[in-house]
Amino acid sequence: MSDNTIIRFENVTKSYDAETTVLKNINLELERGKFYTLLGPSGCGKTTILRLIAGFMQPTSGSIYFNGKLINNVPANERQVNTVFQDYALFPHLNVFENVAFGLRIKKLGKKVIEQKVIEALKFVNLVGYEKREIAEMSGGQRQRVAIARAIVNDPEIILLDEPLSALDLKLRSEMQYELRELQQRLGKTFIFVTHDQEEALAMSDEIFVLNEGEIEQSGTPMDIYDEPINRYVADFIGESNIVSGTMVADFRVKIGDKEFECVDQGLNPNEKVDIVIRPEDLEITAVDKGKMKVKVDTQLFRGVHYELSTYDDEGNEWLVHSTKKADVGASIGLDFDPEAIHVMRLNETEEEFDKRLESYGEDAYAN
Amino acid sequence: MEKTSKSAKFYLALVFIVLYTPILYLIFYSFNSGGNMNNFESFTWEHYSAVFSDTRLIMILLNTVIVALLSALIATIVGVFGSIGIVFMRNKSLRRSILSLNNVLIVSPDVVIGASFLILFTAIGVKLGFASVLISHIAFSIPIVVLMVLPKLQDMNSTLIDAAADLGASKRDILTRVIIPFVKPGIFAGFFMALTYSLDDFAVTFFVTGNGFSTLSVEIYSMARTGITLTINALSGIIFIVTLVLVVGYYFVSQRGKNPVGMGVRK
Ligand SMILES: Nc1ncnc2c1ncn2[C@@H]1O[C@H](COP(=O)(O)OP(=O)(O)OP(=O)(O)O)[C@@H](O)[C@H]1O
Ligand SMILES: [Mg+2]
Repeated sequence: MSDNTIIRFENVTKSYDAETTVLKNINLELERGKFYTLLGPSGCGKTTILRLIAGFMQPTSGSIYFNGKLINNVPANERQVNTVFQDYALFPHLNVFENVAFGLRIKKLGKKVIEQKVIEALKFVNLVGYEKREIAEMSGGQRQRVAIARAIVNDPEIILLDEPLSALDLKLRSEMQYELRELQQRLGKTFIFVTHDQEEALAMSDEIFVLNEGEIEQSGTPMDIYDEPINRYVADFIGESNIVSGTMVADFRVKIGDKEFECVDQGLNPNEKVDIVIRPEDLEITAVDKGKMKVKVDTQLFRGVHYELSTYDDEGNEWLVHSTKKADVGASIGLDFDPEAIHVMRLNETEEEFDKRLESYGEDAYAN
Repeated sequence: MEKTSKSAKFYLALVFIVLYTPILYLIFYSFNSGGNMNNFESFTWEHYSAVFSDTRLIMILLNTVIVALLSALIATIVGVFGSIGIVFMRNKSLRRSILSLNNVLIVSPDVVIGASFLILFTAIGVKLGFASVLISHIAFSIPIVVLMVLPKLQDMNSTLIDAAADLGASKRDILTRVIIPFVKPGIFAGFFMALTYSLDDFAVTFFVTGNGFSTLSVEIYSMARTGITLTINALSGIIFIVTLVLVVGYYFVSQRGKNPVGMGVRK
C-alpha cells in the first residue's frame, strides 16, 4: 500500500439478504487523483460498490479504508465523498440554484461565496441561466448535469459518478466525457465512474475494473484490458471480438481447428486447451491464396468509418472483420493477421496468475 | 368542459341544491324578525347581536377555537413525527400493524371513542373539562394527520435522504431541509383537516366535557333541546361563513404548494 492510496477495499462482501451475495470478496486499491471506472453489466454490483464508498451502507464483512483509516462505521455525512446518483436524486422542492447550493448551505458558507461557486459549477455543466428553474421543468439530460454540478461544487476528495452521462445525446455525451476528464485532471481529484458502456470506459479512465456478478474479473489500464483480456468474459465485454477455442501446440504455436498459427504466447502446457481472441480490426482482407485463413463473407454492414463483415471459416467459426475495404457478400476471401494479433487466454486463470505470466514474458524478453 | 352533458349538469345542480338548501334556509331565517322559521316578517340583525352580546356564548366560541387550534397543532406535530417513524420503521410487520391500528381509529365511530375516553378519564381521575376535551381531540386528530402526511412521505424517494447525507447533512438537517419541506403540503392538509374535525366534533366532546366547559356543537345541541331560537340560526350562519373562509384559505395554500411561485433563490 502506497501513501497515495485513498481508498482500499479488503475482502469486502455485501449481501442484502441471507440468500444472495451481491459483492463477493472485493479487493481493490485506488490512488489519489486518478480516474477509475467500474465497468460491468446491469446488476453486477457497481452501484453497490459506490454506496459502500459513499457510506450509505456498511459491508457485510471486510474493511474499507479511506486515507489509511478504517471507515466502515463513518456515516455518509462525515465522508469527503460526493455522489452523482444514477437517478439524480435532486431535491424536487428546491430550484436548480438551491439544489447545487445545498451542500454549501450545510457548510454555512457566506452568501457571496455560495453564489460564486454555484455559478461556476453551473458554468461547467452548461446550465448558466437555469438557476431559477424548478427541477420538474428540466429535461433528463439537464437534470443529470445539475446532479454533476451539485457534486463537484463541494470540492470533495472523491467524486462518485453513477452512470452520469447515460441520459445525454451522443454529442453532449462526448463533450461531457472530455470535460469531465479535463475537470478531473484540473482538480486532481479521484473520480470513480460507473458505466456499462465500454467505449466510454476505455476513453476516459486511468484504470478500469471489469466486474462480473459481484467479482472483479480484471483491472488495469484501458490498453491492458483491451489488448490483454484475461478471459472470454472480459474480451467479450470490452469490445467486439472474435473468441474461439484452440489448443496450444507448443510455445509460440497455437492451433485453431486444424490450422496452426504463429503467436507470441509461451510458457503454457503443451496441448493445453485455450481461448483465443482476435480483434476484428486486426484482421485484414487479402486474396484467398495470400491469407492465413480462408473464409466466406456472410453479411456486410457499412458502419461509417469501416465496413463490418461477418464471415465464416470451414469449421463454422464466425470471424468479424473491420475493414475499410469492401468485399462481395458470398465470396471467399483470405484473412491475414500478425502473430501479435492472436491473444491466448488460459481457461480459469486468476488475475494474479495472469499478471505473473505476462510479467514472465517481459523477463524472457530481456533474457533473450 | 362543453362536453359535460346536460343531464350531468342537471344532476350536479340537484346534488348541490339538496346539500345546500337546508343551510341556506337556516341562514335565511337568521335574519327574520318574526322569531320563528315559518314566515319571514322583516330583515333584522337582532339575532346576530344577540349572539355577540351573549358573553357566555362568546366564551364558548373562544373555547371551541382554542381547543381546535391547539389540538390541531399538537396533533400535527405528533402525527408528522409519527409518520416519519412509521416510514423508516425497519420491521415491516410492525409497520403494517401500526398502520392498521391507525386506520381503525379513523373508521371507528365517534361515540365509541367518546365513551372510551369518558371511561378512561373517570378511571384515572382526570377532571372533565378543557383538558379532557383537548386530549381527546388531539387523540382523534392524530390518525387524520398521519393519513394526510404518510402518502407524501412514501412518495419521497429514499435516495433523496442519501443525497442529503452525501452533501454533509446531519440527521437534523435532513429533517428540516429535505423531509419537512417535501411533505409540507401534506402537513398543511393534515392541520386543516384536524382543525375542521375538532371544530365540528360533537359526539366525542359531548362525552368528555363537563364542569361548565362546553364547545359550540355541544352548546347548540343543548340550546336546540330547550327550544328553538333564531340565535342558533345566526350562530350556525357565522360558523358556516368561517368554515367557508377556511376552505378557501386551504385551497389557496395547497395551490401555492402545487404551483411554486416565489420559491426562487432564497435571500
Ligand atoms: N436494496 C436492495 N435490496 C436487495 N437487493 C438489492 C438492493 N439493491 C441492489 N440489490 C441487488 O444487488 C445487485 C447489484 O445491484 P447494483 O445496484 O449494485 O447493480 P448495478 O451494477 O449498479 O446495476 P445497473 O447497471 O443496472 O445500475 C442486483 O442484483 C440487485 O438486484
Ligand atoms: Mg447501478
